[in-house]
Amino acid sequence: MSRWRPSPDEERWLEVASELGAALPASALTGRTGGWRSTGPLARIALFALGFVAAALLFGVLGFSDETMLLVAGLIATLAAEWLTVQKRLYASGIEEGLCVAGFLMIGLWFTMVVAPGPDFTEGSLHVLVLIVAAGAAGLRRLNPFVTTCAVITFVSWAGSTASAQALDRTIGAGMTVLAFGCALAALALVLGARQYRRPSHDRMLDWLVATLPVAAYLQHASWGAFDPTYAASGTATTRLATVVLLLVLGAAMLTTGLRRRRHAPLWGFLGCVAGLAVELRSSIALAPETWLILCGLVALIVGVAVDRYLRQARNGLASASLTQREGAVDLLQIAGTALLAKRTAPAPPPAEPGFEPGGGRFGGGGATGGY
Amino acid sequence: MHTIEPELRTLHADGTIDDATAARALARDRGQVFSLHPQLRATLYAGVLLVMSGVGIVLARNLERIGPLGIVLTMALVAAACAVPAVRAKRAGRALTVAGEYLLLLAVLLGSADLAYAERQFALLGPLWSWHLLLLAMVHAAIAYAFGSPLVLAASLAALAGWFGVTGTPGDALHLSYSTPELGARALACAAVIVAWRYTDRRAQPDSRFTDVFDHFAANLAFWGAIAWCREWPWLAAGLPLLATLACASVRRGLATGREVYLVYGVVYAAIGLCAAAVPHIHGTTPSLGFVLIVVCGAAAVLWRLRRRLREPGP
Repeated sequence: MSRWRPSPDEERWLEVASELGAALPASALTGRTGGWRSTGPLARIALFALGFVAAALLFGVLGFSDETMLLVAGLIATLAAEWLTVQKRLYASGIEEGLCVAGFLMIGLWFTMVVAPGPDFTEGSLHVLVLIVAAGAAGLRRLNPFVTTCAVITFVSWAGSTASAQALDRTIGAGMTVLAFGCALAALALVLGARQYRRPSHDRMLDWLVATLPVAAYLQHASWGAFDPTYAASGTATTRLATVVLLLVLGAAMLTTGLRRRRHAPLWGFLGCVAGLAVELRSSIALAPETWLILCGLVALIVGVAVDRYLRQARNGLASASLTQREGAVDLLQIAGTALLAKRTAPAPPPAEPGFEPGGGRFGGGGATGGY
Repeated sequence: MHTIEPELRTLHADGTIDDATAARALARDRGQVFSLHPQLRATLYAGVLLVMSGVGIVLARNLERIGPLGIVLTMALVAAACAVPAVRAKRAGRALTVAGEYLLLLAVLLGSADLAYAERQFALLGPLWSWHLLLLAMVHAAIAYAFGSPLVLAASLAALAGWFGVTGTPGDALHLSYSTPELGARALACAAVIVAWRYTDRRAQPDSRFTDVFDHFAANLAFWGAIAWCREWPWLAAGLPLLATLACASVRRGLATGREVYLVYGVVYAAIGLCAAAVPHIHGTTPSLGFVLIVVCGAAAVLWRLRRRLREPGP
């Protein structure tokens, strides 16, 4: 039994508690979880944000002017996180994770300032790498998949912006290094995911990488502008072909693995590959942006309807219906997303007639005030 | 990969969980049952989003070529076609599938864009154009009830909030450039209407699928309204007690139903409101940041304690 983090067995019992919810009496867990206490996903997100903000505010209270305060605030936040872990036995509860990540980042920032005054936070600099390492270390300390994934995605971006990657890009095509590196890491995470892990958190860290790296690497290759309807790809035909092949191969591997292992992460990764492919194909086919958008939307809808119909009756254990009645973050996102879509289709105020100024009339006519 | 099968078997052997719960949990853990529901929803949502974005560009670019009447009629036809699966399911007495529900949402949004376009082109309502949103809210609500679709109800409530002048972003509550008390009053009025609607709906059908949608909209709008009132005197005198009442009600609902999202609403919105009320009256950066730090730490402690008291429903 460790004071610093739950043992694999204790973590597994926490996972069982989270899986079964109220179906599992609290007394059944006494002694099995080693006294470690966790929380639900939404509260964890909120507590993570509160912990992170508290650490940043602490730095503000101590004073922005002196860089030593970064170290002091970082150490206080990190020690507070450790105290919550060791004394209160909090694990994956958000607050200690937010404090720890902010603390490590502040210490990393202080370190960069001490080692090389006037730090350079442009892409590819060593200072950025120090911050990535700090975030990664915090993620591993807390076994937090969100933080480790952010660190890896930023690392992929950093690697793609180094001088050697840019030199390689000149040979193999713009942005290809970052895409190939990201896809390779996603494939590696997919392969490693086949192993059996005692700790659910280790498995989850790999899952997050598998789910997010394809789309994150593609976005760094193509930039966010690729999802703008007026975007025109600037790469050569060979680069585009290489991108399409890479995404196709990775997407196929993700889909087959996801269905074979019955895991969600590779399927999310597959959808990320499909999104990248759709953007790449658009630059290969001469289509107006609106046609492309409507076409892609219709394909998504048709595929969705077909899969829904095919799996309405479960086939080989695969089903389209939800297996849980619990409300999750996705349900809230669905309501928020629908409200956002509805807002976008709402009418704007009618345009004013040219030369017409409401309330501007002097003694009659449109917009008359009655004053003269 | 990981499996919790040994733990589940231990619990079953102990008699801690019954046969049905153990069988369900084991089947899920082994992948004997696996649902593509989340991916399906994401794909369908992306489809609706892309089609609506494309339609927006079509409306903007092809007006002269097709003509306003042509566009209005075409969109009405497409919207009607999208609603066909939902109509067929209703006629056959089947529940709406996830795909059918998203297609119905697309139909509703297309219809709404069509009406907005027609209103803009032909000025059907003239100076009363803003009533268009209320009309949309009513039409969407009728469709939501006809097909039992919570998604369409969310679209209806968004239109209703728009009619009240609440655009639906949390930043509205803290916006500095226009009268926040007025915005707060509108948000609160909208929340009150939604709460009344929710209770009427609940009374008419006790097992309503719409209760959650009503609750989320009402809670967010009411909190935004209360926070907007917390920003300046004399509204603050009403805003703070209202915020406290709402936070208590939200936390009670969370504890009663085992839903942590209401605990998060109650605690986080209360902390934001408290900071919005107090910080403008504290002089100096350090005391202000210190106050916010205390509130944030307090909110985290309260949320943690409340979450420990919550028992989530089973899978």
